[in-house]
Amino acid sequence: METVSGRRSPPRHRVAGGASLAGLLARTARGDQDAFAAAYDQAAPALYGTVLAVIRDPFLAEEVTQEVFLEIWRTAARYDQDRGSALAWMATIAHRRAVDRVRSEQRAADRDRRAATHAVAYDEVAESAEHNLERERVRRCLKWLTELQREAVTLAYYRGRTYREVAALLGIPAGTVSTRMRDGLIRLRDCLGAAR
Amino acid sequence: MTGRAPEPHALIGAYAMDALDRAAAGRFERHLARCGECASELAGLRETTARLSAAAAVPPPARLRGRVLAASGHTAQRRAESRWPSPARGGGRSITVAAALVAAVAVIAVLVVVAIRPAGPAPGGPAAGRRAGLAIAAVLTAPDARMLDVRLRTRGRATVIMSARAAALIFTASGLAALPRARGYELWLVGPGRDRPAGMLPRPRHGMTAPVVAAGLRPGDRLGLTVEPSGGSGRPTSAMLLLVTL
Repeated sequence: METVSGRRSPPRHRVAGGASLAGLLARTARGDQDAFAAAYDQAAPALYGTVLAVIRDPFLAEEVTQEVFLEIWRTAARYDQDRGSALAWMATIAHRRAVDRVRSEQRAADRDRRAATHAVAYDEVAESAEHNLERERVRRCLKWLTELQREAVTLAYYRGRTYREVAALLGIPAGTVSTRMRDGLIRLRDCLGAAR
Repeated sequence: MTGRAPEPHALIGAYAMDALDRAAAGRFERHLARCGECASELAGLRETTARLSAAAAVPPPARLRGRVLAASGHTAQRRAESRWPSPARGGGRSITVAAALVAAVAVIAVLVVVAIRPAGPAPGGPAAGRRAGLAIAAVLTAPDARMLDVRLRTRGRATVIMSARAAALIFTASGLAALPRARGYELWLVGPGRDRPAGMLPRPRHGMTAPVVAAGLRPGDRLGLTVEPSGGSGRPTSAMLLLVTL
């Protein structure tokens, strides 16, 4: 990651790789195993952590993370730099796979049991012993959301809940939840953008 | 809780977080196809969810890296020009073999992890487990790795992945007949000389035996399996349940 010499911009946090991760994906698309290994090293903590948050079982999360990286390996040629960052592309694959896995495997009883503990989703991000700069930033910006926005966003993203499930958990109409999810993400985006 | 169905555009946040059920996702995607600004709004929201992802970062178990890289070595990539292939359409034989190898790698990876899990002390301790893991990786990543799937004479199936270059093979089995405690399954390398013991199979868990690595493969060797006293025998004392030409 090069910085422009001379002019020092305010400290700018890069998400696990930024531009160079995109370069690694381009090389991965041409079958470059070393580039793929380097992309793994940069993105694996974020992707594994995301899958683990949704799936909750380290053993299964490891398996799903492996599937995620094989999908990235197979389809790296599809990544288009003009349409977003490499991490966003990879995280989308990881989150979708994790969600698909819990939705197909989770038993109704299990879900009901967890429904009682939904508040954990945010606390975990907020209070995890594992600290990093990005976590601090996101944590601060999550506090800037309304309580409903925050719950809607964290239950959906970190717990893989559908907006209808979130509606049932919080006892509010599904239409309201979908609006809160959008508003919450936009507010988070603006806060994170400003915090850069 | 029911209310009117939300405006399709209002679903964009839920869509960005994979929080729509199938029907609602379909509804949103139809809207997306017609909506000029949606793609860039969606891209912006996905950058935001990527930050949520980065905030959740946890170092993965170290063994995952080797498994991912080994499996990628056996996985065909999609070419850039086939950008949106229909997923159901199958490829040629080489892809099938690659897919079978990937499946085998996944099974073995799971079995290795199961074997290393702390349910019982691993024989030889964690260092032995790591050595076995390295030996398995050496076979799986060998360019000449081949996989055989065979049926036992009694019951059960075995999967053998072998590499002449690594002079080793990995053996796993499922659905083997249960044995009394005092007996176990023993692998043999059956060559031109005398039969060489190649290891006892661990007790199955959930019907699967954890992988065993047999090293010291020589040209012309065949792989055999017999039932022996659980401490193992120096030479086979019962009929071969399996004799595979490698």
